[in-house]
Amino acid sequence: MQVLELRGVRHRYDGRVVLDLERFAVPPGALIAIVGPNGAGKSTLLRLLALLERPSEGAVLLDGRPADLALRRRVTLVEQRPVLLRGTTRQNLEFGLRVRGIRRTEVNRLVDNVAGRLGITPLLDRRRHELSDGEVQRIAVARALAVEPDVLLLDEPASSADRAAAQSLYHALAEERARRPLAVCLASHQLEDAYRWADDVRALADGRLSPVTPENLFRIELPVGAPGDLKHVRVGNVEIAALTDKSGPAILAVPPTDILVSREPLTSSARNVFCGRVTRLVHQRGGAVHVTADVGVELVAVVTEDAARDLGLTPGSPVAFAFKASAVRVF
Amino acid sequence: MDFLAEGFRRALALLLSADAEVYGIALLTLKIGLVATAVACGLGIPAGFLLATRPFWGRRAALTVVNTALAFPTVVVGLLLYGVLSRRGPLGGLGWLYTWQAIVVGDVVIALPIAAALSAAAVQGVDPRIRRTAETLGAGRWRTAWTVAREARFALAAVLTTAFGHVVAEIGSAMTVGGNIRGQTRTLTTAVALYTGQGDFGLALALGLVLLLLALLVNVALQVLQGRGGASA
Repeated sequence: MQVLELRGVRHRYDGRVVLDLERFAVPPGALIAIVGPNGAGKSTLLRLLALLERPSEGAVLLDGRPADLALRRRVTLVEQRPVLLRGTTRQNLEFGLRVRGIRRTEVNRLVDNVAGRLGITPLLDRRRHELSDGEVQRIAVARALAVEPDVLLLDEPASSADRAAAQSLYHALAEERARRPLAVCLASHQLEDAYRWADDVRALADGRLSPVTPENLFRIELPVGAPGDLKHVRVGNVEIAALTDKSGPAILAVPPTDILVSREPLTSSARNVFCGRVTRLVHQRGGAVHVTADVGVELVAVVTEDAARDLGLTPGSPVAFAFKASAVRVF
Repeated sequence: MDFLAEGFRRALALLLSADAEVYGIALLTLKIGLVATAVACGLGIPAGFLLATRPFWGRRAALTVVNTALAFPTVVVGLLLYGVLSRRGPLGGLGWLYTWQAIVVGDVVIALPIAAALSAAAVQGVDPRIRRTAETLGAGRWRTAWTVAREARFALAAVLTTAFGHVVAEIGSAMTVGGNIRGQTRTLTTAVALYTGQGDFGLALALGLVLLLLALLVNVALQVLQGRGGASA
């Protein structure tokens, strides 16, 4: 049974469709990352899942039934730049518990527990003007966890935190999930975080779920009336050859698994061959390595750990990326 | 200049001697002002919340009506109310014409759009994330409204003082439906108009000073309350 689901949702602002999803489900206990550029619709998607906005079309279902306001108490959203309500940190953590009519002694116990788990006990008596942005973010997560939701929605949870604080926050979430069943759906533009912490990474582009993995997504303008299906599109400082019959605005995607990685350019049928330097190497679960290189535009390729080792890939080392025009997805 | 100085001297003498008529009029004005402000804000502030937070059909038209009503001449309000409360009017049976209750009704009609329009603006000024935060943490409609109101407390306090200021300072409606009857419906503004017309400038000035003092006291009281609230923000 699905916990939370959007079905046939089309959402508009001022008549413009900002989200168009046939189906988006958050299964029980899932750890989902939604990635995509700014304006892709990530925050809108989370607000719909949190039942803070009603979709213009379609339905939000909770356990297969249309979600109502009573069921909203099982889903909690932490916004990208969360705000604290008037009062102390403790009063903020108490808020959701008190609206549920929980007794004072129990409220105190739950607040002390969640504050301890999130490492914010020293902040409990502080007010919002005495806290940094990173502390506010952490308190907002603690406030959301205090009510023990079935689904926790996080919008860019690491946006106000430095790297160490972000890692600490993700660790706290992992511990929370180990403690009790909790589905987490987080929106992030940090692909590395998404791959490191989520079991399921979904890409959103222009309000639609991308049919391919979320790396190497570019918003492009295809020439109108160009002859043939082989088109050359400028992306960053390079021209990518793509086979498509589309024209006008579109999304171009290069699947990272379709990129051939070598130290030197190879003679092959690939129409796209770019040289550059490795900027990052991220080791993922299951032995895959995400190789990010600046080849005139930042591209990500996936290789095995063995391949990365054999090629001697390290940050700064020269690299060549090659992929066929037919591997480029345009939608 | 002598005329003005004499007026001030007589005004001070009346105030310092605790003149019964002056204080009677002041107390009646205070009573009418507080009751009318309470009723107008009790209805107007929730209406302002609705206008600011709930999308409904005709919302834009309702906002236009409320904003237009801000500039409604008080004497016209009094005239219309006179028709409603007079013996042949639809509410003539209440027998409220020329009573302090009639003045309260007129003042409520005048202050209601002020309370609604200003509180709508106050609520619209609150960061929308506050409402969303309360809702996502499970607050219902009333608890969410209360949470938003706490954030807008300074602006809502200004709604109270503005409404009270308009109520105690208006004269058109009070004169028309109250009748300026001595000891019964004579308020500070109607009394000032009467005594100025009769040439008793000193008494008129004394009452004018009391009116200013009343407005000042209410503002100070609210600022003290806001100060306490602000300390625990």
